[in-house]
Amino acid sequence: MSTVYLDTPSSGHRRRVHRLMLVVAAVFTVFIGRLAQLQLVEGPDHREASQRNFTRKVVLPAERGAVFDRHGRALAVNEPSFDLYVTPARVKNVGAVLDGLTEVLELDTLDRERLRERIEEPRGMWRYQAVLVRGDIDRKRVALAEALRARVDGLSIGVRHSRSYPEGLVGAHLLGYLGKPTAEELNRGSEAGRVLQADSLLGRAGVERRFDDVLAGEDGWERVEVDARGARQADRDAVATLPGQTREDPRRGNDVVLTVDAEVQRILLNALAGYQSGAAVVVDPRDGAVLGMVSKPGYDPNLWSGKLTPEAKRETDENPYNPLLDKSVQSYFPGSVYKVVTALGALEEGTIKAETKISSPGAYVFGNRTFHCHKLSGHGEVDLSGALAASADVYFYKLGETMGIDTLATYGRLFGFGERTALGLNGEAAGVVPTRAWHDEKTPGGYQFGLALSTAIGQGDVRSTPVQVAMAYAAVANGGTLFAPHVVERIQTGDGEVVRRFAPQVVRQLPVDAQHLADIRRGLERVVNDPKIGTGTKAALSWGRIAGKTGTAEVKGGSGGKAVSAEIRAFRERTHAWFAGYAPAESPRLVVVVFLEHGGSGGKDAAPVARHIIEAFHERVEPIFSVQASNAGARRTDRGLP
Amino acid sequence: MIRALQAVARPSWPLVVMVLGLGAIGIYNLQSTSTAAGTAIYLRQFWFLLAGAAMMGVVAAIDYRHLERHAPLFYIVMVLLLGLVLVIGKEVNGSRRWFDLGSLSFQPSEPTKLAVILMLASMFNRQTKPGGYTLRDLLPIAGLLALPCFLILQEPDLGHTLMLVFIAFSMLVFERFEKRTLMTLVVGALVAVPVAWAFVLHDYQKDRILTLLDEKADTLGTGWHANQALVAVGSGELTGKGHGQGTQVAGGFLPENHTDFVFANFAEEHGFIGAGLVVLLYMGLVVGMLRVATTARDKFGTHVAIGVAALVFWQVVMNVGMVLHLLPVTGVTLPLMSYGGTSVMTVMLGMGLVLNVSMRRMVF
Repeated sequence: MSTVYLDTPSSGHRRRVHRLMLVVAAVFTVFIGRLAQLQLVEGPDHREASQRNFTRKVVLPAERGAVFDRHGRALAVNEPSFDLYVTPARVKNVGAVLDGLTEVLELDTLDRERLRERIEEPRGMWRYQAVLVRGDIDRKRVALAEALRARVDGLSIGVRHSRSYPEGLVGAHLLGYLGKPTAEELNRGSEAGRVLQADSLLGRAGVERRFDDVLAGEDGWERVEVDARGARQADRDAVATLPGQTREDPRRGNDVVLTVDAEVQRILLNALAGYQSGAAVVVDPRDGAVLGMVSKPGYDPNLWSGKLTPEAKRETDENPYNPLLDKSVQSYFPGSVYKVVTALGALEEGTIKAETKISSPGAYVFGNRTFHCHKLSGHGEVDLSGALAASADVYFYKLGETMGIDTLATYGRLFGFGERTALGLNGEAAGVVPTRAWHDEKTPGGYQFGLALSTAIGQGDVRSTPVQVAMAYAAVANGGTLFAPHVVERIQTGDGEVVRRFAPQVVRQLPVDAQHLADIRRGLERVVNDPKIGTGTKAALSWGRIAGKTGTAEVKGGSGGKAVSAEIRAFRERTHAWFAGYAPAESPRLVVVVFLEHGGSGGKDAAPVARHIIEAFHERVEPIFSVQASNAGARRTDRGLP
Repeated sequence: MIRALQAVARPSWPLVVMVLGLGAIGIYNLQSTSTAAGTAIYLRQFWFLLAGAAMMGVVAAIDYRHLERHAPLFYIVMVLLLGLVLVIGKEVNGSRRWFDLGSLSFQPSEPTKLAVILMLASMFNRQTKPGGYTLRDLLPIAGLLALPCFLILQEPDLGHTLMLVFIAFSMLVFERFEKRTLMTLVVGALVAVPVAWAFVLHDYQKDRILTLLDEKADTLGTGWHANQALVAVGSGELTGKGHGQGTQVAGGFLPENHTDFVFANFAEEHGFIGAGLVVLLYMGLVVGMLRVATTARDKFGTHVAIGVAALVFWQVVMNVGMVLHLLPVTGVTLPLMSYGGTSVMTVMLGMGLVLNVSMRRMVF
């Protein structure tokens, strides 16, 4: 037996094998230890992770509240829109999907290659994440995409609510628009108390932005069971066994009802039709409610709320008239509409009485400078109402010289100039009410006394917003109450239950003699209704009385530095045209401010626009004159003004 | 004749029990995952296992010294098949590893491991180097190993290439080396690591290694599979979620759950108790085979037993190590438990060889 097995394993071999057995045992002991670590020590964590795996917290987006005008007309509502997605993991034939989408969406080669990358790039779990191919496709394309979906795998169509502004341009700056959060906002995670998702919509301008917290509501969530592909698995009951809450319903945003009247908005847009750039504001002098405010040129908020094409964006960006800027709350030289401030100040300070006559020639030499009147021949001896009616500059230069710039500033501030109103829309400007100190700080060479003269006629460095002018004229019209402008009448739930009502807000009762305001009102009536000397007679109606003040503000040259066309340069050198007034003159119901940026002359351009607005308001919105316009002999001849 | 009968009457029964036990556990486990897969792959696995058991019996019955004579032929056939698979193999996920035989497929790299074991054992058996192996002595061994390694790397299949290297290394450890040779080998291995990183490894393979080093790296991308396997194992806790109750597989979070990641599924459903038992069974199997090596009547038998033990050991280590996130993802299957005919039958054939050796052991 032994002879067969000469070459037997040595004892050394056996020792080595035993050593190896120890190594094997050690390695497997490490495995047992690792199992104990994973399953016993970290087990509960992993169990939780596996539950998170097959359940997913899905955000249930809250429906955004609507915006209505004062008569309940819908200005901003929600409509279903359709988004086309592709899920890389489910795509079986990338070529077929790309071919189909190229046809349906009319993609060019570049789009197609970009899409290919987005389908082929994701790894691991990301392959199950649906990729948005195009948002908000039209109904025709939805049908085509549905047909394509039946032929190739991997496509899906999602439905969501998108914002719609049925009145289009009519809403523009006032309503604003919505936009997705930026990366920075997402990182912060919330905005004004809102928890943000990548596809949340935030108000970016106007009422949508100012009342975003009211409109947004609160997103809800639901824990749903999914597989690795993110598909819901309704037939498994694990969700029911999960501890705690599994659903939180979304809370719909509240509706905002504006004081603004959509019809007034249309009237304002129509009245401004002949001008490139400007703003018009209509407020109720009895409570400060804004009935209408528009800015030109406008934009379509429907486009800006997620449907903006690159072409439309470029067109807006390159438009030299700045469509995105809300000119009703930007500040400009007010020119002669500011003279009511000087007039009231002079009366209050006792510088003049209403009947004091002052010589007002065509020019006034002050120091080594000559201050001209807009009318070279001058106006002779005029009292206050005459000076207002004819807009006699020298009369006001003299008042300014006597009162000084700081006294003028006191009355400017009294009227709310130089200070933001409570409106809170679209980056409202505060404007400027210059003082001695202000000039010392900002003007090269510091304050010079001549600046008081310019300030007295709303030039120099005075800057006001159309809304400020409207509120000041409302105070003149209503006998001295300065209101804060407001655009929202009430906030209500989707069921119409009122959550909050906005009462008129008085900024201050002007501490002035009522008689002085009456003196000014008499002057403003003559501006429009004195056919001999009034500068605003183009605002006059034969069957009702309008009062107001024209303004033609000189602008300091300069085209803004950028190379612009001759047409734009000429435009920027033209004067601003203003008209600020109210109607009816005897018991004001309506304050109208028309501002035409580089629009020409207050009397020739702005005054007729204001008359058109007041007339249309009387006819189409609410009769404010005791005489019916249709009964009056003078029918409007200029419907659809220049 | 009597001696032969005596020998056959003493196979290592514990080894047989452990092999069949692991095979049975594998089928039971596949029955759970195949519910999710929608096909009854566990039934196919049953037939593979049955065929493997038959082959194990046949191989055990023939005296292994007859097998030693046919080792070169076996080796040559396998090398030819490895070459052929590169040409006519079925391409799956960018690699050609399988012959498509209709409803079945055949992976030549699996039985190649046995061919290499037999060839090396036969070479060691013939050469006796009392002074230890020198580099020159190692050359034919290296050549023998390099040829199939090169072909398998072309498929590409890094996992199987590494398996061949590890098995050969384990068998060599039992030989004595001349001191200088040993030093050269160690230095060579140290140099090989950065070279392999720069020139041999593909980006996705580097990603897998990097994933291992950084626990939280990209758990949704490259590291997703590995991370989901960890969650599966860990969420099993002490007793597991129960047979067929694994949510990781049912939800599709665990990929390759009937091949590379079977152990994760088993650990999820049967917890620490079940997974620990399986690890102990594998340990018993490897240790048992090593015991056979110590009682073999010749060096050939010793080396065959050690080779097969190394095959099972390294495959278990690489697979379980991968599932437990201790080693990178290599796509090595778990012997006897992973679905796959070639894999199961290769292990069973190897077991047949070890049983063969055990039945013809030395009797003192």
